[in-house]
Amino acid sequence: MIIEIENLNKSFKNVKAVNNLSFCVKEGELFAFLGVNGAGKSTTINIISGILPKDGGKVTVCGEDVDKHADAVKSRLGIVFQSSVLDKRLTAYDNLKSRAALYGIFGGAFRSRIEELDALLGLKDIVKRPLDKLSGGQRRRVDIARALIHSPDLLILDEPTTGLDPQTRAAVWRVIDELRKTRGLTVFLTTHYMEEAAIADYVVILDAGKKVAEGTPHELKTAYATDIVRLYSHLDEAEKQLASLGYGVCRERGYVDVEIKGTRVATQLIAAYPDLFDDYEVLKGNMDSVFLRVTGKDIREV
Amino acid sequence: MTEFKKLWALTLRNMKCYFKDKFLFFVSLITPMILLVLFVTFLRTVYIDSFNGIFSMFGFEAEEKLVNGLAGSWLLSSVMSVCAVTVAICSNAVMIQDKIDGVVNDLRTSPVKGTTLSLSYFIANFLVTLLVMLSVLVVGFVYLAAVGWYIPAANVAMILVDTLCCVLFGTLLAGVIESFISTQGALSAVSTLVSSLYGFICGAYMPLSQFASGVRNVICVLPGTYSVGIMRNHFMSGYVEELGRLGLPYEGQQALLDGFDGNIYVGKTQMPLWSMYVILLGTCALLLAAYVSIVIVQNDRRAKNKIKS
Repeated sequence: MIIEIENLNKSFKNVKAVNNLSFCVKEGELFAFLGVNGAGKSTTINIISGILPKDGGKVTVCGEDVDKHADAVKSRLGIVFQSSVLDKRLTAYDNLKSRAALYGIFGGAFRSRIEELDALLGLKDIVKRPLDKLSGGQRRRVDIARALIHSPDLLILDEPTTGLDPQTRAAVWRVIDELRKTRGLTVFLTTHYMEEAAIADYVVILDAGKKVAEGTPHELKTAYATDIVRLYSHLDEAEKQLASLGYGVCRERGYVDVEIKGTRVATQLIAAYPDLFDDYEVLKGNMDSVFLRVTGKDIREV
Repeated sequence: MTEFKKLWALTLRNMKCYFKDKFLFFVSLITPMILLVLFVTFLRTVYIDSFNGIFSMFGFEAEEKLVNGLAGSWLLSSVMSVCAVTVAICSNAVMIQDKIDGVVNDLRTSPVKGTTLSLSYFIANFLVTLLVMLSVLVVGFVYLAAVGWYIPAANVAMILVDTLCCVLFGTLLAGVIESFISTQGALSAVSTLVSSLYGFICGAYMPLSQFASGVRNVICVLPGTYSVGIMRNHFMSGYVEELGRLGLPYEGQQALLDGFDGNIYVGKTQMPLWSMYVILLGTCALLLAAYVSIVIVQNDRRAKNKIKS
């Protein structure tokens, strides 16, 4: 395990930000840490990375206790924060140079690391330009380069794609995939995009500082998501008949959604009432519905 | 060794952030220049009249070049001692901005010691303030060379030492005050307050002899007064010696020094020059101790989870 958290607690005055939280992250996996704003994600990340001390519990990163061997832990993790923390007035090169120095990377070692990161992130055209002259996507690339400058074993990404256009988001993900494939990097991700969480190896959902669900996306969808049969014909009849059978029915403009527990139930329903199912589709439950079901909140709206 | 390299890398980074912020650099540099221009434009004649008033009391008439230079040196000594503090307060904006932008938190995710981080801000601020003050000094010396130069080489060297002392004092004072600041608004408030008050309470804008005796005694307790005192001594003494050589009697020289803070009195006791250095450097030592204590306590508090995230 690259991260082991046992009974972690953290309060700010009377607010319990993290409440008896326990989970593990396996080496090499893409781990998604989900929760609405204020759920305790950033607090947990700040504790893992040694910015914030904890009230209680145990946090082990790369086999080292974060309290006892903070420097050893810090040397092995890289973080991309929600908002860029690069010096906007300096060039990307100067930013990376001063950052590398903090890890004892100087001179030739720094230059060769920049070449490696250029090959990975395509920094060549932007490295000599001041940060405030770069686009949001280019700045994100430098953010990631900054987090990777010391070749960490664990990369923490705190909402790395929030506010980016779809193309840049895709580019960021291409880099993350490449890193995972070629270097076996462990990625600890918080995101508001459920489609990003859906490709994770393991997911933990946090609500009000407490873990409310965990598992692989498939396990979570199986346990919490509701499949839907969407009918586009015989709407009045379908709404009345299926509601009388006790199914959750929701009439929308041009279609009726019927909540079902798994595709097997859908098959049984279609077989039993073939006249209703002239035009329909079966929609698998997704991570959005898992999140909504588990927390009672829509991650995009809170 | 590596920690030292980290310290130097962080110091360079802080200095680069400062110099790349053209507005910040411009404001820091232009403030002393404006003060110098304002002094020369509006106050020079007032001081020249005052000097001539003293000379006439002793039946002495000084040549114009000498009086102009004396007025310029008095004004420049004021600018140098005041701006060493105000520029240091302004230049430390990089530290405050890092707190606001969350850069400090980011730096803390790297294996760098909290003390190294704090020290890098201090050293960067010291070097930046020193560079700005040396630039002001060069401009001031060019002005004095133009209007009347009577500063011996030894005094020039001592003025450089005084500049170092004043910058050290200003940087430490800024470090202590700004350790508690984490917003741009608070920084602006402190800068405004210090810029408007400091020159008066250290006796730089007006000679101490013109204050009421009670106020003068209070001002003499403040260490900033002695940063002005050492500057005054080394800027003015060459001019006073020349006046003596040209025939201004000793009493006249003393009257000039007494009236324009070349001599500083606490009660009726004249403070020797060495005691001014002792007070100023002693204050620097106290400020350093306070700054180190603050850094240690803040790091400790962070470690003990007593700070708000």
